[in-house]
Amino acid sequence: MRLPPWTGVLSRSIAAILGGYLLASLVAACCALGLALPRAEAVMTGAMLAFAIHAGAVVYVFAVRSAWRAWAGLALPAALLGGLLWLLQSGGAA
Amino acid sequence: MKPGFRQSMAWLHTWSGLLVGWVLFAVFLTGTAAYLRPEISLWMRPELEVTRPGPDIAPRLMEAMARIAPGSQSWTIGMPTARDPVARVFWRDPQAPNRRGFRDAALHPVTGEVLTARATRGGEFFYRFHFDLHYMSPIVARWIVSVCAMFMLVAIISGIVTHRRIFADFFTFRPGKGQRSWLDGHAVAAVLALPYHLMITYTGLVTLMFLTMPWGAQLAYKGDRAAMNADIFGNAPVTRPAGRPAPLVEIGPLVEEAARRWEGGSVGRIAVQNPGDARATIQLVRQDSERISFNPQSLLFDGTTGVLISATGEAALPAAETRGVMYGLHVGRFAGPLLRGLFLLSGLAGSVMVATGCVLWAVRTRQQAEKRGRVGFGTRLVEHLNIAAIAGLPVAMATFFWANRLLPAQMEGRAEWEIHLFFAAWGLCLLHPLLRSGRRAWVEQLGLGALLFALLPLLNFAITRRHLGVTLAEGDWIRAGFDLGLLALGAALGAVALLVAQHGRTRPGTRCRAAAPLATAEAAE
Amino acid sequence: MLGLALPYAGFTALCLAMERHHEQVLGRRQIPPGLRLVLRLAGWLLLLTSPLPCLALAGWGGGSVLWCGMLTAAALLLTLLLAYVPRLAAGLALVLPTLGLLLAS
Repeated sequence: MRLPPWTGVLSRSIAAILGGYLLASLVAACCALGLALPRAEAVMTGAMLAFAIHAGAVVYVFAVRSAWRAWAGLALPAALLGGLLWLLQSGGAA
Repeated sequence: MKPGFRQSMAWLHTWSGLLVGWVLFAVFLTGTAAYLRPEISLWMRPELEVTRPGPDIAPRLMEAMARIAPGSQSWTIGMPTARDPVARVFWRDPQAPNRRGFRDAALHPVTGEVLTARATRGGEFFYRFHFDLHYMSPIVARWIVSVCAMFMLVAIISGIVTHRRIFADFFTFRPGKGQRSWLDGHAVAAVLALPYHLMITYTGLVTLMFLTMPWGAQLAYKGDRAAMNADIFGNAPVTRPAGRPAPLVEIGPLVEEAARRWEGGSVGRIAVQNPGDARATIQLVRQDSERISFNPQSLLFDGTTGVLISATGEAALPAAETRGVMYGLHVGRFAGPLLRGLFLLSGLAGSVMVATGCVLWAVRTRQQAEKRGRVGFGTRLVEHLNIAAIAGLPVAMATFFWANRLLPAQMEGRAEWEIHLFFAAWGLCLLHPLLRSGRRAWVEQLGLGALLFALLPLLNFAITRRHLGVTLAEGDWIRAGFDLGLLALGAALGAVALLVAQHGRTRPGTRCRAAAPLATAEAAE
Repeated sequence: MLGLALPYAGFTALCLAMERHHEQVLGRRQIPPGLRLVLRLAGWLLLLTSPLPCLALAGWGGGSVLWCGMLTAAALLLTLLLAYVPRLAAGLALVLPTLGLLLAS
């Protein structure tokens, strides 16, 4: 059974807006903790970079052939960054 | 590149632009007006004389503050400049009824006396509105504006991808051809000022990044806001008063020291904490029009001995400097008259880009709908909102200026009523298209806006002493220029109104349909 | 002045090398290949020199911002003139740099 086309649009929109924001936040967080720079520098680099990541994610989500692929394309880097963030945080605590 | 990619980008461009187009137009236009913030404020206070600031104005202003705010915990003095020739001061007063415990005043740039002028928000209103909106919490408003700016960024990127013939159509504008002209106009306003559009959108996002992208800061500082503020913004930590009185040090030598350290730079702001106390501090902040970067250079002195405690912003690190430059580019305060003119031009081009984009959607959808024989609710809604948002906003802005001239000077809550009338006029523009067919509503609102703007200089002749006859003769170029600008704005709006009216008479429907294919169709080729 | 004149003249030369605009201004669709090459070269050269007056006026930081603004202003002016009074648009490309040089000297 094929879903009606608007579900694909809705799914991609959610992926673009929320998923893109999540990915951008992860980048910002990883930069803030992981970059070997003074703390304020790392924080600002991450935050300024995040908007470009978000915009890129939105374009990606609407460019790929299917909504499934869009979600997968976001989830993979997000999982990697999430893992990295976990390492950074536990490393920082140790 | 695959045609499918371009097509999906065309879709993305259309919808990301349309959904937030009306908010973006308002943000763009009022943000453009905010480049003239001091000029608007001065024009809206016709009582103020334009005097050159005196040579040793800083001591005078310090004496004045000691007179008008003797027991206050902190003073801030904004030094007079060529663009804003009065000193703007505010000080902490727990008894103050509003503004979170602050009172403010304007001081004479030579004598330091308190000046009285009508209560108005002036250009500050447009500046605040363009990211704080109004009638709502600023935090909510900033989120709304940030989300819209993100949509804008996406619309710009996808627009570049969609526009297949950027270089072939670089100089192409074909007027009087219905939809084709709208598309040309949209592309020209977008492509020719593209560096500006990208810059202003991205830097706009960056100005609000600590609100919208706080995660890195939260993790790195673990909620220690004070440490973060000191690290990032260089805020001087608040000192508590010692409780022992001690006289303040002379300000003159401190100002000279600042000029020496900043290689001839001048002081833009003086912030004094605990004046008259043994633990007083004096902070001198550099004039922000002297450098692109908005990272403030400041010097903190001991207020009783005059010893330099610390200096900030002298060698900013790369990321801080990047953010400072982005911030500075966005607010454009470093821009001299020529560059400010170019910023204004580009800002207007941005407003035109958003407006033509919204109109283009409506024109195109109506054609498709008429072919099918039925115009849907969505199309009519967009057409209606286009009129109210695009033609209505100039009417509202002009009403704001009229209210400034016509409300009685001593009225209670005067400054707020100017703003209420701004929104009332805008609200009426939202209702007006219900009574009128589309094109007539456009012509009437644009025409009304043109009249309101063009008549303002004449109103000045009737009720103020600062009309063009006086300002031109006295060389008060700020006010004279503003009046002339209003006339030009009125003429431009009038010209657009006439064009729309004429276009209606020749019934372009057939020509439109014969015109070249749509952007999406083009992309699909 | 020169800051506006150089990009304006450069853009005009480039646009005269395009068939559609060549026809608008001169009434001919065909552009002799030699002329086209000259126009292109001249256009790009003018655009390449156009940042110089801005940088001289406002330094590296301010000058590069000013140059972007000038490019935008010149291209907008040219596009609007081309649409309504194409002959004037081309004429101005000769007048503006001359004026600019006179004012600069």
